[in-house]
Amino acid sequence: MKEIDDLNLPEDVKYTKDHEWANAEGDTVTIGINDYAQDQLGEIVFVELPEVGDTFSAEDEFGSVESVKAVSELYMPISGEIVAVNENLEDAPELVNEDCYQGGWIIKVKSSDNSEINELMDKAAYLEMLKG
Amino acid sequence: MPERIRSRLRTCVFQDLQVLEYRRALDLQVDARNAKIRDRSLQDHLFFVQHPPVFTFGRRGGKENLMKPDNFLEQQGIDMVQTDRGGNITYHGPGQAVLYPVVDLERARIGVADFVYGLEEIMGRTAQDFGVAITRDPRNRGMWTGSRKIGSVGLSIKHGISIHGLALNVSLDLTPFSWINPCGLSRVAMTSLEQEMQISQKKDIRVSMDAVKEKFATYFCRVFNFQLIRETTHA
Repeated sequence: MKEIDDLNLPEDVKYTKDHEWANAEGDTVTIGINDYAQDQLGEIVFVELPEVGDTFSAEDEFGSVESVKAVSELYMPISGEIVAVNENLEDAPELVNEDCYQGGWIIKVKSSDNSEINELMDKAAYLEMLKG
Repeated sequence: MPERIRSRLRTCVFQDLQVLEYRRALDLQVDARNAKIRDRSLQDHLFFVQHPPVFTFGRRGGKENLMKPDNFLEQQGIDMVQTDRGGNITYHGPGQAVLYPVVDLERARIGVADFVYGLEEIMGRTAQDFGVAITRDPRNRGMWTGSRKIGSVGLSIKHGISIHGLALNVSLDLTPFSWINPCGLSRVAMTSLEQEMQISQKKDIRVSMDAVKEKFATYFCRVFNFQLIRETTHA
């Protein structure tokens, strides 16, 4: 596993306790797993995606990632409706390892409560949780 | 080894479930995990168990790798269970040593990939103690002796807490493995500790399941930096 100081944690996204990231542009929020998650999971071989149109509440399970021999659940950082899924991951799940904040994004969500994203952690708070 | 796993010292409740149906053992793991999700300060659990005959499927399936019709298995009295673990189809039966760690990997500071590696390490060290040399195959996980598969790993992780675990073939009847493509791999020969010892030592050898249990407990503690609290009451 990487040292905490070696993790790539951008300043301009929000983080969850389950190691997802969320980036809001208007009321559309792009969501993926962060560098800590992809590093400790190891090589990701499959990403189970929801359907466009599915709706979830914050903290619901919305899919999973399978690294070798282990299936890990994914959790919604916020509530809302799935408006896009990263179909590239069906053939190239390794994008989550290689480029977790750009090419390895997982879902886009139309937020049903714009205040929720402000309750997520910024980088400093997330780092504090990791070190806890 | 494994220096790569630099975990925090934790305590864990160790329980021998003896021979228990797969579904009941799964319920115990799920209940223990759900309790830990609600209260992260609760202790981790380690269950040692053997199952009556059962086929189980991984999150992404595996039924396509079952080469016998359902009614054949029903006639044999063999259950089939869909699970949410990683990996594909596998078989469990009496004579197979199964270890289920319900462990808060986040709090223990163990990555999922390292946890899989460490579970394989436990099987490898155990087999080596019985004189059976084990190899890894980075493309096909689990534990191998030559080209024959002797042990498997599969996990489900929720909120950083594991269930499911490892299974090492000790003395079980391997026939039901011939009814499937184990782990989704075709033409894989399965083997067991006793079979390998009989091949190498050219005489019948019996391996005590209690001895395997103790080695699992010892190596689990060493590999992952745990102290065990032994639970003596039956589930």
